[in-house]
Amino acid sequence: MDEWTLIEQLKKGDEAAFRTIVDTWQDMVYNAALGIVQNAEDAEDIAQEVFVQVYHSVGSFKGDSKFSTWLYRIAVTKSLDHVRRKRRKKRFGFVRSLFGEDSEKPIDAPDFHHPGVSMEQKENAATLFKAINLLPENQRVAFTLHKLEGLSYQEVSDIMKTTVSSVESLMHRAKSNLQKKLEDYYKDKT
Amino acid sequence: MNVKLNDMKHNDEIEKKVEEVLSSLDGIKRAQPQPWLFSRIKARLAREQAEEQTVWGALGSFLSKPAVAIASLCVILLFNGILLFNQPAETPATIIAAQSEQSGSDSESYIASSSSFDFENLVQP
Repeated sequence: MDEWTLIEQLKKGDEAAFRTIVDTWQDMVYNAALGIVQNAEDAEDIAQEVFVQVYHSVGSFKGDSKFSTWLYRIAVTKSLDHVRRKRRKKRFGFVRSLFGEDSEKPIDAPDFHHPGVSMEQKENAATLFKAINLLPENQRVAFTLHKLEGLSYQEVSDIMKTTVSSVESLMHRAKSNLQKKLEDYYKDKT
Repeated sequence: MNVKLNDMKHNDEIEKKVEEVLSSLDGIKRAQPQPWLFSRIKARLAREQAEEQTVWGALGSFLSKPAVAIASLCVILLFNGILLFNQPAETPATIIAAQSEQSGSDSESYIASSSSFDFENLVQP
């Protein structure tokens, strides 16, 4: 069954079509969310939210872009919202701890180990993910979609609703920022 | 001289390590969610539908729809506008005069009502 037939059937409320859509795109949605939020449980929650939104708002999908592009957009938006919420919570927790309301100190995020990374690259990848976490949102999204999802600059620009040259520039800045952060990290370490 | 050489060697090592880290995601495989993702999504949808079936839940979800919220806001603003523009233009002096006139008639009616009390039919204990 092709993409359009599935979408049309889902618009009519067909559950089998919805199941096929989830089965087909769940890895893509989950992996994109995982790259941004860097936590398996949160990524799973986001993947659920994405498909719930797809179920409710598939009627608004007009086919101006590819279905996968639309899915990526929802996944990226939800993942960034999640990261912002988590950061706000962390800041609020820190302020509360300053006023003695909460004796618990904010805990630094543990190392994130992506299950798709080979064993010998595990430590290096965990260090890289920490550095990716420090990038500005746009650079982080572009880098994650390109490196983790293997998307072309054209596909990334479609998802981010920007031009290919903007994505090139974002990627260039992301790489140089990462390089600098990693150099500082290893200089401090030795 | 020796210190400088050591520094250079050290910087080269760091550069090499950074390059190694930057290329650590090359050939990464896609992560997969738990196998019961679809069941969880179904459960979430069922929960949402159950919440919407309660009166308040349905009302809340109806009002929270952007189209309904914007339409309600427009109606409120429209009524405010109508009330504002349909008010007769009164000068402060006429308003005060009208107010004092009204308070005068209020006190008169109070007096009238108190004087028209039915003393004759008053039941005595």
